Amino acid sequence: MAGLPGKALAQELIAQSREESRRTPLEGVIQAAKAGTLSDEQRFRLIGRLWTLERMFYYIYGGWGQGLEVNDFPPAVKYLFSRQIVDESTHEMLYLDTLLRRGWVATQKNAFRHPYGTFTMDSALAYYVFSLRNFATYAHTIRIAALNLGPKILELGWMEGLAEALVDDDLQGVFASQFVENRSHVNMGRRIVEEFVEKPVETELCRWACATAKGDYRRFLRELSDFVLGRETSAEAPAVPAHAAE
Amino acid sequence: MPTLKVDHERCTECRMCYVVCRELDINAVYVALEPLHRIEIDPETCTYPGCTACLPYCPADGSIVEAESGRSVVPPPPDLWRRKGARVPDV
Repeated sequence: MAGLPGKALAQELIAQSREESRRTPLEGVIQAAKAGTLSDEQRFRLIGRLWTLERMFYYIYGGWGQGLEVNDFPPAVKYLFSRQIVDESTHEMLYLDTLLRRGWVATQKNAFRHPYGTFTMDSALAYYVFSLRNFATYAHTIRIAALNLGPKILELGWMEGLAEALVDDDLQGVFASQFVENRSHVNMGRRIVEEFVEKPVETELCRWACATAKGDYRRFLRELSDFVLGRETSAEAPAVPAHAAE
Repeated sequence: MPTLKVDHERCTECRMCYVVCRELDINAVYVALEPLHRIEIDPETCTYPGCTACLPYCPADGSIVEAESGRSVVPPPPDLWRRKGARVPDV
């Protein structure tokens, strides 16, 4: 294992993200859950927006998949990616099931039409989705480093905190049942970075992509938290992406 | 009335039953809230034998069974799809 070229980078990215995952913009929602003040309406908002983001991964991964070609990476890398696509689809189903089971929407079609489940362009959610989709133009190793060793670790952090705080067993199960798959995605990312990121330019690209993805994900989490708690959203998307302004 | 359940020894988790059930707005097929996220059928919501729409889409023989008798309904036995009144609900 010591001879793996990207081992130090993987450790660095994981350590940074774990540190950041201790306190995410979703802290207010976790505190409300802990205090037992998260209303049914607020839970609906939370699951509705998470479902909207999760279903956009079909679009993101569709773009990423188009960038994979024959013999560019060993089959193991593509197997891990396909596994991740299935898991993400499962999580989308979990959220939709919850919307239906709780009676927040009557049908799948209603979920798409409801304001909490609608995808809108002018949102931090859309900004994050397009940010990830744009990684389709980078090598698979770089985008996996960006997502799996960035936002995925932040997500695992707030999700563990929220599941622990929730007194609602059903909703707790929705989040807690995702832990194994989320940890698996982090491990997939670690393995891919350890094994395939070798050149200094790739290392720098991974650092930049991971920081960019986390920044955009945090912006989405701020928007989500404000929406759930009924606060005015203060998180404006920058007019010019950070990397373009440099 | 008989009810349906998934035989997890045979189910491949392809999720076709889930897709069909959602499209018909019956919503009886769901993802279990456990780490394996297996597909299950809610007998309270499932309208079998009134609806048998998921059965012909299931690719794994024997993976959906009648809970009471254990009889396999994949592929659908003739008495199901020839049964008078059996229909796919209107969408």
